Amino acid sequence: MKVKIIDWHGVSSWHWNLVSDNQNESEYVDELCGICRVAFDGTCPNCLYPGDDCPIVLGAGCSHNFHLHCIYKWLEQNSSKGLCPMCRQVFTYKESYPIVTEELTNLQNLIQGHKSVRESGREVGQEADGFEDDGDLQMSA
Amino acid sequence: MSRIKRISKELEECRQDVQSGVTLELNSESDLTNLTGYFKGPPGTPYQGGVFQVDIVIPKEYPFKPPQMKFATKIYHPNISSVTGAICLDILKDAWTPILTLKSSLISLQSLLQSPEPNNPQDAEVAKHYLANHKGFEETAAYWTKLYASDGDKFGSGAKNDAALYGIDESIVAQFENMGFPRDKIIEVLRRLGVKSYNGVSNKAELENKILEELLKECS
Repeated sequence: MKVKIIDWHGVSSWHWNLVSDNQNESEYVDELCGICRVAFDGTCPNCLYPGDDCPIVLGAGCSHNFHLHCIYKWLEQNSSKGLCPMCRQVFTYKESYPIVTEELTNLQNLIQGHKSVRESGREVGQEADGFEDDGDLQMSA
Repeated sequence: MSRIKRISKELEECRQDVQSGVTLELNSESDLTNLTGYFKGPPGTPYQGGVFQVDIVIPKEYPFKPPQMKFATKIYHPNISSVTGAICLDILKDAWTPILTLKSSLISLQSLLQSPEPNNPQDAEVAKHYLANHKGFEETAAYWTKLYASDGDKFGSGAKNDAALYGIDESIVAQFENMGFPRDKIIEVLRRLGVKSYNGVSNKAELENKILEELLKECS
């Protein structure tokens, strides 16, 4: 039998290459963004097209990932204190992107902003600690 | 409208989940920002057997800002206002993070009922009662649960015991009733003076005189 191909349509699929928490699990699990509760392969609620238009950000200090637009909106809130919404560690991201977009730069600025707020707060905290130490010394003397 | 998508997802998830014992309902089908949550009082607490209703209003910035929650069911608890139902819980204030959901917030409220924090009170009167007389507090809390949070028969005809409602020892009320004072005035005066029982009162006679004095003023 001879088959003659007259026309064809190429179809491809893609997904983010996320490493599963479970190392033995080779099967790819499409996880949800904890902030918007949409799959990473989908978009954040404000985007139309998944992929490069709505990238994901991988946590560096912790292993928690989010849509860039979602984590950006969270870190924009003063109440976030620059912390990861999942584990409340300081949020930093893996700088593994070939192109640094404006959005990534903005995210980096937000993270820096929270860092400087934290550091100015810590100086005040250290002074207070110092006083407490003095108090302890006097007590023991 | 990111919050609308998320709220509808949360509602759907909550509908499918029958194990958590938490229910979420829309107040109106056309408005996703006004909801009512229900959960059961945890077993082994004075809130056991009660179903508690929580009013939920979702702010524009949700999930980046916490939902506003307050108890619609009257409840006797150190961290919840016995008058307004306002709640003192860190995750509904500055410890909120967007991974928390309406369901997880309601579960947190449930566990707040299990472990009150009387040293960081919302209702100072209730907290004082909790710390001074734990058994008395539990009795009052259980009475409020029976009165306000029991399923069905919410407005039953059963006579409300007004003294138990405020955690006041019935024997004090009876003592002054025997002297011929009207019951409502006695409770009013005892509430004003913050007297619940004679337990831990160093000078009982003095306190009795004070109550008597107030009652005479009240009834003159």
